Amino acid sequence: MRKKPKLTLLDAVILLAAFALLGYMGYRITVGLHYKWNWSAIPQYLFRTDENGRWTANLLMQGLFTTIRLSIWATLLATILGTVAGFFRISRSLLKRLLGRTFVELIRNTPPLVLIFIFYFFVSDQIMPVLGVDDFARNASQRTQAVMTFLFAPPRFFTAFISAMVTVAIFEAAYITEIVRAGIQSIEKGQFEASHALGLSWRQKMQYVILPQAIQRILPPLAGQFISTIKDSAIVSVISIPELCFQGMELMAATYLTFECWITITVLYLVLTLSLSLAVERLEIFMRRSTV
Amino acid sequence: MRINLSLLKSGIALFLAVCLTSPALAGDIQNKLVAESTIEQVMKRGVLKVGMSTFVPWAMNDKNGQLVGFEIDVAKRLAADLGVKVEFVPTKWAGIIPALLTGKFDVIIGGMSVQPGRNQKVNFSIPYDYTGQAIVANKQLAAGFKSIEDFNKPEVTLSARLGSTSVPAIKQFMPKAKMTLFDDESQAYLEVINGKAHAMVGSAPTPAFQALKNPEALFIPIEGTFTKEPIGFAVRKGDYDTINYFNNWITVVAAEGWLKEIKHYWFETKDWESSIQ
Repeated sequence: MRKKPKLTLLDAVILLAAFALLGYMGYRITVGLHYKWNWSAIPQYLFRTDENGRWTANLLMQGLFTTIRLSIWATLLATILGTVAGFFRISRSLLKRLLGRTFVELIRNTPPLVLIFIFYFFVSDQIMPVLGVDDFARNASQRTQAVMTFLFAPPRFFTAFISAMVTVAIFEAAYITEIVRAGIQSIEKGQFEASHALGLSWRQKMQYVILPQAIQRILPPLAGQFISTIKDSAIVSVISIPELCFQGMELMAATYLTFECWITITVLYLVLTLSLSLAVERLEIFMRRSTV
Repeated sequence: MRINLSLLKSGIALFLAVCLTSPALAGDIQNKLVAESTIEQVMKRGVLKVGMSTFVPWAMNDKNGQLVGFEIDVAKRLAADLGVKVEFVPTKWAGIIPALLTGKFDVIIGGMSVQPGRNQKVNFSIPYDYTGQAIVANKQLAAGFKSIEDFNKPEVTLSARLGSTSVPAIKQFMPKAKMTLFDDESQAYLEVINGKAHAMVGSAPTPAFQALKNPEALFIPIEGTFTKEPIGFAVRKGDYDTINYFNNWITVVAAEGWLKEIKHYWFETKDWESSIQ
């Protein structure tokens, strides 16, 4: 039996105040600011017709796709790194625990912006040429390049994209480390003791007893971290990766449609993250059911 | 044993002497320098990577997502004359010099003014264009302002783009005024349009364009420009082959009258505007 929601006087006052505030802000923006709105210019930057009259993604949508690609790869890489570091954090070896802890504390206590600059200008610059990433991307066959463009970025942005991906991944990995560690440590002590009493090796214990339970607890916050990655990826605009935020700012610089661009970017991010949030909520409900 | 030791010593001395005086052939070094110069690398790669930043009308995205503008035309012609493809690397203005130094691209063709401070970090070609700082002001806040002196007051706020030559220009001509700096020019203009800053200092001709676009909020207090700045290509230091090529290329296209022609198209006409919005 669900109770019918009742609107109390306080609720009405709060609602009215919220609407009044919104209305006032709208009024200030339209009247107070000397700003000429020009929404009609925005749609062509989302999609355009090419020479053959077919619809293709323009600047902003290309940026959105780059953001999605960057977030997916960075999350995958961060999950691998984070899992390894998470096991380090709970290892019996002191050295591994120290390494895990140092990694997490160093990354989590540094502003991401600073990390991005350090990685992009120092680390990627030393590592990428040694690995020959740029030459590989440029000299790859037409087909490989097409695949690379679809999965990662066009050859000319490939090196920058990989640097950005690694940077975001390392940053997110610190948080995933903690998710993995907390997930494993949240398993009741009895489970560890029971598997120990059964004479299982460390590997068997993890594989058959601990991880199947821990993964159920890890997955929902991991999916949440993916949403964080999407939001955090906006920061790589400072190193000129053509993702959504950067493309929007380039467009602003060219067209001076500052507000229209920012609002469009906000909406695009919201569409992406809100739909994922709903999916995560579903996942959480599903996980809870399957544990019972 | 004693003799042996001294023999060993003299042996080492001889070995070192041979090593140190092994003839460092001047020709070898020269060949190496040539091979390592940016221009040779570009020819080998078949691609000229150009660092730039959006700056109307120097470089901007058009409706089709293609880069257009004065600098873009210059870089395209340069690449065509070299017989290579051109690749643009849009970069935030504030980080464009570190990006050049760390090899993210070969050259900055981005309306970069030659400045002694910048020249300590990078080498510049001879100027291919000149620009100057112009000022556009808010009609209400800066009502009646007519000269540089009117703006040189502590209660005046000026907006400008971070890392641009507007900043030293303001410090030189209006040292008493307060400054607010933005990553992009559009934000700096918006600050003046919204009445949060008295005026915006930026490279001509955009301040004048903005005044025409927003006649109810903006006006031009001082006609023309109050500085004259040469604009050159920026390359990494110690690479004279590349500088020499660029210098001579600029001399040739300037003598052809081509530079003047495209400058006229982008700066004195507005024929291109319909392709942007």
